[in-house]
Amino acid sequence: MSKHSALNTFGRSGNPAFTRNFENNEVFSQSERMTLDGAVNKTAILLALCFAGAFAGWNVPALAMPGLIIGTILAFVTIFRSPAKAGSTAPFYAAFEGMALGGITVFAEMQYPGIGIQAIGLTFGILASLLFCYKSGIIKPTENFRLMLFSATMGIMLLYLVSFIMSFFGAGIGFIHSNGLFGIGFSLFVVGIAALNLVLDFDFIEEGAEQGLPKYMEWYGAFSLMVTLVWLYIEILRLLMKLRSR
Amino acid sequence: MNTILFGILTIVSLFIFMNLGKIKASKKQMDREDRINWGGRRRSNLKKNRGSSTIIEGKAEEVDDETKK
Repeated sequence: MSKHSALNTFGRSGNPAFTRNFENNEVFSQSERMTLDGAVNKTAILLALCFAGAFAGWNVPALAMPGLIIGTILAFVTIFRSPAKAGSTAPFYAAFEGMALGGITVFAEMQYPGIGIQAIGLTFGILASLLFCYKSGIIKPTENFRLMLFSATMGIMLLYLVSFIMSFFGAGIGFIHSNGLFGIGFSLFVVGIAALNLVLDFDFIEEGAEQGLPKYMEWYGAFSLMVTLVWLYIEILRLLMKLRSR
Repeated sequence: MNTILFGILTIVSLFIFMNLGKIKASKKQMDREDRINWGGRRRSNLKKNRGSSTIIEGKAEEVDDETKK
């Protein structure tokens, strides 16, 4: 019996990572793999649905609250259930969040005319400029970058949650809603964190396309980009309202 | 004026996103050792190992405890 029988049986490498990649290539054919084109096209579909929802919310502002609640539930369902379901939940998420954003924008427009288009322009302006910075390699996301952003995002979410709970008892964290220097500084910080989350979404989509993940991950990538864009839009709107109220 | 300016910014930005988004990122971005490991795999080590085999070529010698004595 040959002394290299293991080599003859399993090939030159027994590394399971190599084997898994090989298996992936076998299981998913070219048409079943995630691509950049697919992810961008699906983001465009979600944006179109969001605009359609916003049109409905703009005309019937009463749809804002149900849209926000259903949209949030759908977001949690998509995140915490299998990403394979993103293809069926993400379009509904985009439409319902659009309704919420349309309603919120109407209220903001009543107080500060022209603020809605400013917030939309700045949101997409940030999206395009950060995409350029990512593609050209000016911004390079690393594990430390992801850790820092994750910590900051969780910190902000916790602060908002505490503020929300405190509001039921007639209290609140005043500075995060104030139009003073501290309140504006806080809003600028949150806008910065939300914007940098876009870079993580770009990297996730790029990596997914490079690794040849299954096709449904295009929907998941587009969904995560939509979640960040919705958050960024709301934060920019809040920042502009604070600035205009001074 | 406000609407026109920000409207143009929105359309131009969406156009940039739709076109630039479909282009692969630069080599400067992709060929880095410190990229985020989204899949939980040690991709940098994997890339390094892919080029060079860890198996030492040559005649294999059988180690036998009895021959040592």
